[in-house]
Amino acid sequence: MPWETLIFFLVGALAILSALGMVAMNNPVHSAIFLVICFVQIAGIFVMLGAEYLAVIQIIVYTGAVMVLLLFVLMLVDMDDLPEFHTAEPLTRVIGTLLGVMLLIEVAIAIGTRTISGAPGTDTPEAVALVGGNTQAIGRVLYTKYLLPFEIISMVLTVGVLGAIVLALPERLGLEAGRRRDTISLGHPRGTDTVLPIESGAETANLSGRSNAQPAGVGRTLIMATDPDDQPVKVGGRRS
Amino acid sequence: MELTANYFLGLSAALFIIGLMGVLIRRNVLIIFLCVELMTAAVGITFVTFSRETNTLDGQAFALFSIAVAAAEAAVGLALILAMSRRTRSVDIDDFRSLKD
Amino acid sequence: MNDQPIWLTFLVAFIIMNVLLIGMAYMTYFERKVLAAMQDRMGPTRTGPAGLLQPIADGIKLLSKEDLIPRAADKWVFFFAPLVVFVSAIVTAAVIPFGQTAHLFGRDVNLYATDLNVGALFVMAVSGIGVYGIILGAWASANRFSLLGGLRAAAQVVSYELILGLSLAGIFLLAGSLSLREIVLEQQQNLSIGPLEIKNWYIFSQPLAFVIFLIAAVAETNRAPFDLPEAETELISGFHTEYSAFRFSFYFLGEYIAMIVISLFASTLFLGGPSGPGSESHWWLGIIYLFFKTIIFLFFYVWLRATLPRFRYDQLMGIAWKVLFPLVLLNLVVTAAIRLASDGKLF
Repeated sequence: MPWETLIFFLVGALAILSALGMVAMNNPVHSAIFLVICFVQIAGIFVMLGAEYLAVIQIIVYTGAVMVLLLFVLMLVDMDDLPEFHTAEPLTRVIGTLLGVMLLIEVAIAIGTRTISGAPGTDTPEAVALVGGNTQAIGRVLYTKYLLPFEIISMVLTVGVLGAIVLALPERLGLEAGRRRDTISLGHPRGTDTVLPIESGAETANLSGRSNAQPAGVGRTLIMATDPDDQPVKVGGRRS
Repeated sequence: MELTANYFLGLSAALFIIGLMGVLIRRNVLIIFLCVELMTAAVGITFVTFSRETNTLDGQAFALFSIAVAAAEAAVGLALILAMSRRTRSVDIDDFRSLKD
Repeated sequence: MNDQPIWLTFLVAFIIMNVLLIGMAYMTYFERKVLAAMQDRMGPTRTGPAGLLQPIADGIKLLSKEDLIPRAADKWVFFFAPLVVFVSAIVTAAVIPFGQTAHLFGRDVNLYATDLNVGALFVMAVSGIGVYGIILGAWASANRFSLLGGLRAAAQVVSYELILGLSLAGIFLLAGSLSLREIVLEQQQNLSIGPLEIKNWYIFSQPLAFVIFLIAAVAETNRAPFDLPEAETELISGFHTEYSAFRFSFYFLGEYIAMIVISLFASTLFLGGPSGPGSESHWWLGIIYLFFKTIIFLFFYVWLRATLPRFRYDQLMGIAWKVLFPLVLLNLVVTAAIRLASDGKLF
């Protein structure tokens, strides 16, 4: 069916492009956005392979929960300097790319010359539709053949939750972080702590709140708040 | 052009290798984490492709388990990264070297 | 479900989308009128007869306001974030069945855009994507109050989304399917409780799940009394502080569409959707019944807003994790136990 092939190429191309975008972006939040797009394409691939339940679970769990958690951490971690493309040695990048290309060629050869042995299973798409659909069929398999891994996974998840809570408790970090009990990063790279350059002729906002010559957003600079205890926050540079 | 399993396997391999290159090249620990997640998802595609090709559902069950484990790993891993980056005040992976020597 | 040509599906989807958009516009009018009635005043009366052109006036006002973008804002993400909320809310309506099939113009037309066999989970999944609009919008605003409000809103939505999904697990157990069309079909059977024979609407067999679903639905759409993340008096305006004019209207309208779609979803799952006396033979009666059931839920939303004070954020999260989560698990266990014990006869 030509439609299916066309859609596969579209979805596949978008998945690869967004994966490349994720790896190449400077800003980690942009990387996360590209990864979310990639996951949605992967869910589409799952639907094409007849695994609809897995596709929705991928979106609910992976993009809806794991990536949201990741975005939370990205926005809360103190990042006053991203060491990426300023100081990375070009040798690492060249070797990495070379290794990647070599591995790709190897895997392509392996895929092209593969054989498959053993008898085919019994869960043809017709048999799955008979049981009531992909969800029902997976339910049967999970509760009969894979019951033990299912129970173990639930324990893994419980232990994971406990571990995450224990690790993130503030008492464990002591007060080495100083007064900076971060709930929101003061070194936020989105410019909340940078002093924007003052253009000549524009007035700075003074604290008494008197109005300025122009409305906000039109050429007037904004001085952002500094550290709440009124000490200037160091911007730029790593800890030294 | 008939859509055989090899196309899906090729796509999955490409995504996996892009993720692998990301892990090798990038230095921001959170982006390395994102690339690891991409690798896990790409392996899921391989599982489901084989499951479809051999007319079984084991591959889909494994992909489901890998999603669940990735969720648990994300929770613990991010808590670790948060704790580490608060301690070393940086997200450069070259700074996480307290186990060295 | 019969196979119909794809242009027909597109036509049905187009009609559903437009009805939803008009409904969203008049939902704002409905809310203002009902709030006014509860607060003993008149509401919009001047624009058009009885204020019926008020949504149009609001739209023109919002379109003509100045569009401010903070200088430090990330332009692309700032632009796309409200769209994510809006689009994901509309896409959710693709699986809601407005009937089974109708025979129109010599063809059998399906009265729904599509019927996925994981339809109910599709609704949960797409609502989950709507969270990104909140987080990314908050982050792109380059304003730490917005970021704080956005992260709070996202945490709230994710927690209550879990509760929403789990409260439906009992229904999936009873119906044996995740497809919304099949759930509607199941509810057209008869349920016998003693000498009484009533329709098998899941509000009767899952009352606890219904209550929990309603609470979670109100919290999920960031509506009062769970609307601290966008409370005007607490966090300026929360995550949409920096948005003005038309971008703000995307957030605002996206929230209303989410309300309508969740009300449609609740009517489908708990009140039988388009079923009612006479709806099997006349498909347009089914649509009217569904309309009235949805209006009941929307009225409930506005009623809550007019009546209850706002919850504090820690109270909000405490309710989700300490009260509703154990209750919803209890509901699932009891439903499964009753079904097992009665061998499927009682339920």
